[in-house]
Amino acid sequence: MDPSYVADADAVLARARSGDAAALEALFRAFEAPVYNLARRICRTTEDAEDVVQETFFEVCRSIRNYRGDGSIWGWIRSITASKALMRLRRNKYRDTDELDDQVTPMRREDTGLRMDLEAALERLGETSRAVVWLHDVEGYTHEEIAGMMGKTVSFSKSQLARAHARLRRWLGEEVPA
Amino acid sequence: MTHLTMEELVALRDGGSEPGSAAAQTHIEECARCSAELERLHQRVARLRALPTLRPSRDLWPRVDAARRRDRRRGRVRWAGLGGLALAASLAGVLAVGSFGEGAGAPVPALAGELTAVQQRSQTLEAMLTAYDPDARVTDGNTVRVAQALEERIAEVDQQLQVTELRADEPAQDAVLLDLWRERVGLLDALVDVHVTRASHVDF
Repeated sequence: MDPSYVADADAVLARARSGDAAALEALFRAFEAPVYNLARRICRTTEDAEDVVQETFFEVCRSIRNYRGDGSIWGWIRSITASKALMRLRRNKYRDTDELDDQVTPMRREDTGLRMDLEAALERLGETSRAVVWLHDVEGYTHEEIAGMMGKTVSFSKSQLARAHARLRRWLGEEVPA
Repeated sequence: MTHLTMEELVALRDGGSEPGSAAAQTHIEECARCSAELERLHQRVARLRALPTLRPSRDLWPRVDAARRRDRRRGRVRWAGLGGLALAASLAGVLAVGSFGEGAGAPVPALAGELTAVQQRSQTLEAMLTAYDPDARVTDGNTVRVAQALEERIAEVDQQLQVTELRADEPAQDAVLLDLWRERVGLLDALVDVHVTRASHVDF
């Protein structure tokens, strides 16, 4: 099912709130792909992303009674997913690989003509930068929301986004000639 | 000429109202290079949004469902352990008041004692199931179906117990409670049998 549409959504949600297993599975089937996609865009490995999916839906099953329907169900599930994925980043303390690149080879001339694939360039970004790019530019979170979720400042989120775009531009060979 | 930084370009793209954004807007209208940078930024974000949705390579629902069922069972253990004791205590109080008024020799205390015994048996069986952890073991489809049917019935009995507990001050609820607890123990016994012996046919 598409996340923007769960067939007979109100009835499914009502049944899910009462703990109905079939309704909970219907919610899972409707949202598993976008949840996994968001988790995978933030986490470094497929295993971590799968763990985030499981943690997210376990939380959904436990807390669905508390979902008051103020916002969209996808907005609620997405915020749980983002929170779980960012928590995993903090727990794993990944080394930001793009920062490592900059330390070792601050002027990677070969990058200019490399013209990396966008997927590969995104994957190459450091965890934090990639999370900020994805949450802000694709999922539509504000810098204030991202800062809140990451426990950082708004200016941190803004600078991470700018750094990420500067790197993507370089790796994708999109720099405008002077 | 000083061109816009990426941070300024991103702020412009987001329609920011930060200090200097008016100057940056003026600059972009006059500078072909920065204008092209902004356009590429827009295109890059559009391409990011158009990336295909990644999907898990395997079905993750069985593990979520198993965790959910384990959690629900733990909840029942907590309920039986805490709510059950509170239930027994409140019921004992009700029965004591009743027996005080009716005088010694009434059969009510025996009923309370039987209820306590049934509740303890229920807790013992719950502990056995938790220790056995059937969700972590490989079982055949028929066993899973029988176990699920039993668990659903136990959940229904639990709901009835909660409703009955709220009406504990009404007449004759003690006998109803005892019957429900007996049924719960019978179902738990069957569930233990299913998991331990892999019984495929259970009457309940």
